[in-house]
Amino acid sequence: MNEVRDLVGVAWAGLKARKVRTLLILLGPVIGVAAMVSAVGLTESAKGALQAQLSQLGTNLIIAQAGGTFGSQNPTFPSNAVQRVENVSTVTSAAATTNLSGVISLPIQGASSYYQAFPVPVRAADDNLPSVLDVPLLDGRWLDTSDSQLHLRSVVLGSGIARQYGYLPGEVRTILLNGTNFGVVGVLGPVALDPDLDNAAFVTQWAAKHVLGTNGLPNQLYIRAVPGTTQGTANVIPTAINLGGPDQVSTKIPSDVLQAAAQANRTLQEVALLAGLLALTVGGIGIANVMSISVIQRSAEIGIRRAVGHSRSKIGGQFLLESLFVGVLGGVIGAVLGVGVVYVVSAFAGWVVVIAYGDIPIWMGLALFVSVAAGLYPSIKAARLEPLETLRLG
Amino acid sequence: MSATSSDTLPYGAPRTSDHPLLELDQVSRVYGEEVEVYALRDVSLRIFPGDYMSIVGPSGSGKSTMLGLLGVLDLPTSGTISIAGQDVSTLDDPTRSKLRGNSIGFVFQQFHLIPHLTALGNVETALLYRELRPRDRRERAYQALDRFGLAERADHRPVQMSGGEQQRVALARAIVTDPLVILADEPTGALDSVNAANVLEIFKGLESPERAVVMVTHDQAVAGTARRKVSMRDGRIVADERRLEAPR
Repeated sequence: MNEVRDLVGVAWAGLKARKVRTLLILLGPVIGVAAMVSAVGLTESAKGALQAQLSQLGTNLIIAQAGGTFGSQNPTFPSNAVQRVENVSTVTSAAATTNLSGVISLPIQGASSYYQAFPVPVRAADDNLPSVLDVPLLDGRWLDTSDSQLHLRSVVLGSGIARQYGYLPGEVRTILLNGTNFGVVGVLGPVALDPDLDNAAFVTQWAAKHVLGTNGLPNQLYIRAVPGTTQGTANVIPTAINLGGPDQVSTKIPSDVLQAAAQANRTLQEVALLAGLLALTVGGIGIANVMSISVIQRSAEIGIRRAVGHSRSKIGGQFLLESLFVGVLGGVIGAVLGVGVVYVVSAFAGWVVVIAYGDIPIWMGLALFVSVAAGLYPSIKAARLEPLETLRLG
Repeated sequence: MSATSSDTLPYGAPRTSDHPLLELDQVSRVYGEEVEVYALRDVSLRIFPGDYMSIVGPSGSGKSTMLGLLGVLDLPTSGTISIAGQDVSTLDDPTRSKLRGNSIGFVFQQFHLIPHLTALGNVETALLYRELRPRDRRERAYQALDRFGLAERADHRPVQMSGGEQQRVALARAIVTDPLVILADEPTGALDSVNAANVLEIFKGLESPERAVVMVTHDQAVAGTARRKVSMRDGRIVADERRLEAPR
């Protein structure tokens, strides 16, 4: 036990005596471990942000789009599509919207040529759309039954359009839809699962039919399913809507796209891990290189130690222990650095820090293994050195 | 006069034991495999407690080889070397290293201190791996330095010390283990005359009835201080002389 303590002291003194050299060979394991820890940490944290977003948005939203029969323009659903969908037992709620493709929306008179060229999509929407989407209103209120009953010409703006129109919260504002004034009553918050809605203006089904003169048939349904049944529900929605008729219905689950994004980061993580492994390997070669040179430079020291009674195994152990310390120290510094990088980047990116602390010992162990393996050959070389050749006697 | 008969002569150092500390028996050391070069040929030498001797000879006479063999840094091609009666060639490296550390104290011409260690650290090096508590080890090393007037230099590194001081640190390192034999290789070779005289004075002080002091040198002045003088030429011992009183 005391011999181990002595050996540790000797190896430590050897590292401390050549600080620059020690720092340089530390870089390999430090960079390697830091790269691996931060690679996994950053991708997991980014994914963590996506998953946090996903769990907030829910993965049970289905969007059903009317596909129409072949060749038909402006395909629509039957007027009672929402009731049909709500008959599906796994559907918890549904809301319909209608794309009013012919309607021109103008924030102010005089800019008509621009908005005719780049029309803002206007949609008729059900009263319960925000609750189905689970999106709050940024300002004001959503359309409700009183708008229809009282024949009010009310409009709600998507968050993107509100910004584009320069709408101020609480402002009394009218916009022109096909030349008729509509009063802005609210602004819908950003819809992460269907950003198209951010760039739309919403009116009631009544106004669509009676003021803007459209047929009022829905062509898009937003459906919430019982969690866990989303895919199955999406599969039966077309049948539920067209009841075996010729109309086509396409469904999509928008959260799948986000989930795919979270998946895609695995590739990035693997690339970064590989880079870390590469840094570690190159670092290992560096250690082997520097230690080999060190053995030659310190041949006199080795001879002296042999002369005062240190055995070959003690000499080898001394050099191996120096490599081991480099591995341990490099691993610890690298891990701390890697965790620090994850915290700093996450703070700037607004991510929730996710660090698999359980994995860190694996990377540190890898750094240790590489360092010791790299120190093996120089250590054997040191142990085999003939003291007579290094002491230059006589 | 042959090496084997010399220890039977009636004069010499006060002998406390008839058992040699170091014994070379018919030792040869051959270098090279295809072309064999005899660095040492059939040499027999016995070093006793109390011996204060020099090994002299011109370059190539086999002094260095002899030193390596006496210090158990090297093994003979043929013949046996024994330390305190133990044949060293039968020992494995850890045991032989331990025996070397315990029995032999080296002093080199170039001092051979470890540059990144302090004077104290260098002396402590000889006490490592001996089951000593660090505090005891430091204390013993410090006392050895103090013995040669280097207590104040304990924290200095070799580059901060003069040649004479460095050689005294090396001497402290050699005696700190209380070895049977002090083996010196041209101990004054790298020193000016004042420091050389100083170091030689220390060597004289190291004489003891329990210990042997062996100086390998080609300097006749150094050799002249010894009481026993072994002369070498062409890998053989050509003379082994003793005198009662070393000239002062």
